[in-house]
Amino acid sequence: MKKILSILLVAALATSTLVGCSGSKEEKPAETPSTTEGETQDEAPTETPEAPAEGGTITVAAIETAYGSQMWTDVCAAFTAETGINVELITDKNLEDVIGPSMQAGDYPDVIHLATGREKALTETFIKDQNIVEITDVLSMTVPGESAKVGDKIAGGFTETSLTNPYGDGKTYLAPMFYSPCGLFYNAGLFEEKGWTVPATWDEMWELGDKAAAEDIALFTYPTTGYFDAFFYALMYSVGGADFFDKATNYEEGIWDTEEAKTCFDIVAKLASYTEKTTPAQANDQDFTKNQQLVLENKALFMPNGTWIVGEMAEAPRADGFKWGMTALPSVTAGGDSYSYTWFEQAWIPGGAEHPDEAKQFIAFLYSDAACKIFANAVNADGEPAPAIQPVLGIADTLEGDNQMFYSIYDNGAKAAMGNFAAYDSGVVGVSNREVWFDPVNSLVSGNMTEQEWIDGIKSANDQMRASLIQ
Amino acid sequence: MKKRSGRNGFIFLCAAPAVILFTVFMIIPTINVFRMSLFRRSAYSTTEDFVGLENFTRLMSDVNFIRSIQNTILLIVVVTIITFAFALVFAAILTREKIKGQNFFRIIFYIPNILSVVVISAIFSAIYDTNNGTLNSLLSLFSGETVTVLWKGENMVMVSLIIAMVWQAIGYYMVMYMASMASIPQSLYESAGLDGAGRITQFFQITLPLIWTNIRTTLTFFIISTINMAFLFVKAMTSGGPNGASEVALSYMYKQAYTNSSYGYGMAIGALVFVFSFGLSALVNVVTKREPLEF
Repeated sequence: MKKILSILLVAALATSTLVGCSGSKEEKPAETPSTTEGETQDEAPTETPEAPAEGGTITVAAIETAYGSQMWTDVCAAFTAETGINVELITDKNLEDVIGPSMQAGDYPDVIHLATGREKALTETFIKDQNIVEITDVLSMTVPGESAKVGDKIAGGFTETSLTNPYGDGKTYLAPMFYSPCGLFYNAGLFEEKGWTVPATWDEMWELGDKAAAEDIALFTYPTTGYFDAFFYALMYSVGGADFFDKATNYEEGIWDTEEAKTCFDIVAKLASYTEKTTPAQANDQDFTKNQQLVLENKALFMPNGTWIVGEMAEAPRADGFKWGMTALPSVTAGGDSYSYTWFEQAWIPGGAEHPDEAKQFIAFLYSDAACKIFANAVNADGEPAPAIQPVLGIADTLEGDNQMFYSIYDNGAKAAMGNFAAYDSGVVGVSNREVWFDPVNSLVSGNMTEQEWIDGIKSANDQMRASLIQ
Repeated sequence: MKKRSGRNGFIFLCAAPAVILFTVFMIIPTINVFRMSLFRRSAYSTTEDFVGLENFTRLMSDVNFIRSIQNTILLIVVVTIITFAFALVFAAILTREKIKGQNFFRIIFYIPNILSVVVISAIFSAIYDTNNGTLNSLLSLFSGETVTVLWKGENMVMVSLIIAMVWQAIGYYMVMYMASMASIPQSLYESAGLDGAGRITQFFQITLPLIWTNIRTTLTFFIISTINMAFLFVKAMTSGGPNGASEVALSYMYKQAYTNSSYGYGMAIGALVFVFSFGLSALVNVVTKREPLEF
């Protein structure tokens, strides 16, 4: 009797273990983040799998950033109402962790919205693998519900950069989303108080640095070295124009020995000597807001950042009379061009997507007036307005407050810098542009690396990248 | 005969769930790591190129990898020595001496162990703050001048990690040693005392040898867990920076596999760390082997 009982118990144990395994598969939808659950419930009448609408169902995976996730729910609902195609929406702050495992198992979303430069580098990985569906034809598609073509609505230049056409073959693979001018942010109130003017050239910048140092204020700080991408790109443009930028970002042989390159390196090395000394110790994901705080407390004058900084630091304490100001990078010579980098996110269709045609319609819809309005009225998780601005013509005119000032930077004389380093294939192992270009700035500031060591590192990595460039 | 087959069936049924789970979640993924380390691929590649041992030969000349391994070894050696020394001494004091508030100290030392690494990193972010941090404020107080040590700067970041990791681990091992020290008969200490042995002699001659089996087991655990914990601490506290100064083997592997889209290269690092962990555990096991003493 005892033996039978123990056998039964063991059998029960074994079965429960195996049931546990299979159960996890059935429960998968429940494992998606809470935002997804909420959204699914909200749209239950149109999204129930048993009763699909006429147009079928696509899966959209969108990163939840400072703009919040509600705007995505609203845009998907508007898309379904317009086209009859249902959308299963996945939004999460760590989107890569949510969709990564199922993609490794071969189950891809139809549309992915992410930004480049993230730690998981999902977009960059797909670009390297050439695993993205070409969407050049989307530009000639009519926006659902409107008569205008997508290509006519998107502002000039956005679909001609290496961020949207990563292989330089004139074909578009990634759709530009939510642009934000980047530049140097400062306390305009402090400048008014001290009677300082915002420097127009780098020489004026160094003069200001000396003046500020006399008052125990550092000239410069940066949140993390990751923020240097926009800074470097704008610097390259202002030093050598579009021609130098293209050659440099395509790793042209000998480009780092040119006069223009030397000017870029010298400016950054000099800027490192003017940087607030605690900056590198706080330039990590845990403490970067402490560096941003330096500007709010008048301990540093400038930092490279994007328009999201206003929302990000909304609750942070600040010096009396603090007022956000933003300027493009100073020009190299008096009267020269100054540039502000245009940072934007991307939406794309992975190679394994099951419904590429419907996905293209969805991407086209993202530029409709209805979608642009929803994005522009976005609120973040705290209920604060956090407008996400689509790169469509005429949108900047509708903005208010700080954002109006930020987005009018290009109307006030600054030129727009766009693009990034060209994509290389998996032949490059063990190095990345961030590691050789941006991260060493920490060491330049702390004095653990010389300018020449930094340049040598860039040259050697770029030799590898040139050899593996995806043509 | 029937009885024996019934017994075998029973053993089979008992072992099956564990064997199946172990195979599916341990053996197969481990084999996969070794297999993928021979390929050039990204995490989501649909195709992969066989490159043989190329990933491993590249690793040998990758200075950043060598630095990450050096950092890992530094953490293993220093954190282990300091943690074990403190844990043993504190355990001996709390078990052998009559101190007021013994339980209070036991709880205080144990608390860091139940905190998540993210919470610990937030606490240490406040401690290490250059301008308003606890540590610099204390140093300023005692030295009489303003101290601005960059605790998370390139030169001090490893020391900062070591302090945080030791602080987190001491309590757990202290409680473990207290449990085994409490079981040593009091009579041994009494007779040693009569023979003229002082507290320190008693600690080295009686306490240590009698809990040696326990120390040996925990040492192996600790070394393996330090490799894993180092990854968590680095991720939460420093992101591997500044400029890679605090990168450890597993954080470097993560960086290569995901951020640099070199999954195969990352898996080669994973394979090496796997072999390294096994080798180190075996070495520790051999070196610490003693004839077990019983009381």
